[in-house]
Amino acid sequence: MIRLENVKRIYTRHGQTVTALQCENLCISAGEYVAVIGPSGSGKSTLLSLLGGMLSPSSGRVWLDETSIYEQSVVARSTIRRERMGFVFQTFNLIPYLTALENVQVPLGLNGVSLPDQTARATAMLQRFGLADRLNHKPSEMSVGQQQRVALARTLVNDPQIILADEPTGNLDPTSREVVLKAFDMCHEEGRTIITVTHDATAAARAKRRLVLNEGQISEELSSFAKVA
Amino acid sequence: MNLRSLVWKELRERPWSVVSSSMAILLGVAALVAIRHVTVHSEQEVSRQLSSLGANILILPKEASLQNYYAADRNGQTLPEEHVTEVLMAGLAGVEKVTPKLSMPASLGGLEVTLTGILPQSEFTAQQAWQTAALFTPRKHEGCKKASHEPSEADKTPESLNTTRSIENLEKNQIVLGADVAERSAFSDGDTVELLGGTFTVLGTLSRTGTVDDSRVFAHLHTVQELAKSGEVVSAIEVIGCCEDAAGDLVPELSKLLPDARVVTVSQVVQTQVGVNRLMSGTSWFVLGTLILVGGASLASAIAANVRERRREIGTLMAIGATPGFVQRLFLMKALVLGLVAGTIGCVIGLLTAVLIGPQWAGVAVLPLPGLAVMAVGAATLLAVMAAYWPARQAAKLDPCLCFQEV
Ligand SMILES: Nc1ncnc2c1ncn2[C@@H]1O[C@H](COP(=O)(O)OP(=O)(O)OP(=O)(O)O)[C@@H](O)[C@H]1O
Ligand SMILES: [Mg+2]
Repeated sequence: MIRLENVKRIYTRHGQTVTALQCENLCISAGEYVAVIGPSGSGKSTLLSLLGGMLSPSSGRVWLDETSIYEQSVVARSTIRRERMGFVFQTFNLIPYLTALENVQVPLGLNGVSLPDQTARATAMLQRFGLADRLNHKPSEMSVGQQQRVALARTLVNDPQIILADEPTGNLDPTSREVVLKAFDMCHEEGRTIITVTHDATAAARAKRRLVLNEGQISEELSSFAKVA
Repeated sequence: MNLRSLVWKELRERPWSVVSSSMAILLGVAALVAIRHVTVHSEQEVSRQLSSLGANILILPKEASLQNYYAADRNGQTLPEEHVTEVLMAGLAGVEKVTPKLSMPASLGGLEVTLTGILPQSEFTAQQAWQTAALFTPRKHEGCKKASHEPSEADKTPESLNTTRSIENLEKNQIVLGADVAERSAFSDGDTVELLGGTFTVLGTLSRTGTVDDSRVFAHLHTVQELAKSGEVVSAIEVIGCCEDAAGDLVPELSKLLPDARVVTVSQVVQTQVGVNRLMSGTSWFVLGTLILVGGASLASAIAANVRERRREIGTLMAIGATPGFVQRLFLMKALVLGLVAGTIGCVIGLLTAVLIGPQWAGVAVLPLPGLAVMAVGAATLLAVMAAYWPARQAAKLDPCLCFQEV
């Protein structure tokens, strides 16, 4: 369970303060599939960063189960991310000098998995995404869709409980987008928590719960939207 | 995938940036290692010359230049051989041995060598006049270290040319080869060789000394004079004094005796070398300072640029769960590898340079000094890691939210 408690995030730039996010109480239970929608600049990435333990709130607390994560050390938050979270990015963020296989091995390596196990698990995960014949390709040698599949494999290889995605389908063609959404569906069936930021209505419609962000304010979307979609 | 393979794969991806970022360190280490090697050996050479040739005196033609004690006779000028008799007849205190030498370039089966005619000690004892002169020799100083006139067993082997700079017996048709000559000409004991139109038998070969003596061929003085049609002349007369006190009085006395010659001691000759050493030593500290400044700064800026370039990668690694410490180590390890590799290559280049050009540059043979080499590589590595410390810390402080930003 993830909970925001009176969280406020303020940015100060050139003497001006911007309230990027303000939230009295938001609770996301384990296993929920949540889409976050909202216009550009409304605070979606700020929300994900806060949930991911990467951005301290200006005030308030972020709870992960019984832990207030910003009252932990930076290293403890890294450990939480490493062991319990997976990230998906709009621009994939693969490491350019590593092959597909090596990219997927990175989170396993950070978790101290032995090299043979790293190879076995990463290979299996890439096979699951139909990339068995691309193991030794660098990101620059792969199509955009393939890159996002490598990125998904990297996210899931550590078996994360929580998946945080920022516009995961933003750069993709319909076929590749479907691959990503299918993967999320499957993760949902496996009982993982998914929080995905999206501009894409079809993608949002696949989620079981939608949050709307507007100028830093979070509100639940009417569930009728789900029926329409 | 671990820290080490991440560092390694990133380095392999950009070999040219690796070369450019560590070039200053590489060159600095190379220069430092070369200079230090030559300096250390040159200093050892000076102290070796001073201790082994402490009481030795050279009588040279007036115009001869002074660079190196061992090469002082290769000056092209000559003295009359009579001076040898004059020195012996004068019966000066502290004269142990007198060794006249005549040196000239020659070709041994196509190999350039220095042919050195030397008068064996046995010929002095054989000549009545010198025998008599020896009777007039005043009693030696108290406390002389090199006591005996009697040739020891070791003095009778050709190797004595290296150890006492003289030889007891050498027939007119015999030669002794320096280590370099023996090695390169492939002649060995008992072989017959042609030299300057004469035929000789190889009596023996000398062990390596690291001096110009290695490229000499020693023959009988009078044979060399005959073959070269030079008349009764010598290039240098080496007077082996019996102790250092004697050397002090001997020089002015010899100068008085032979006004047309130049009389010098080892310490005078090594003055030039000491000067060179001082210059080299100063230079090496200057190089060290420059190495630290330029090498450190260029590596620090290269690592800083690398951090800037890889901001998103760093953010992503942190999002995946890398700790700030891991990110810092990523760049420190990269610097460590760069420092180690640049230091090692620079050290090898410096060593080769010193070994190859040391003999010409400073007139000394240079052998690798493992301690110095290890220290240079260690210092380069330490410098690289220290230079990368600040940029690596900056990398560790980067905001992981960077991973959500567009390119
Ligand atoms: N580092 C920062 N410094 C100052 N202001 C910031 C910073 N990051 C975000 N903001 C501001 O906070 C607000 C929310 O930003 P955020 O990136 O969360 O929006 P977003 O909903 O993700 O937008 P988009 O859909 O374009 O990605 C914006 O007004 C933005 O200008
Ligand atoms: Mg955003």
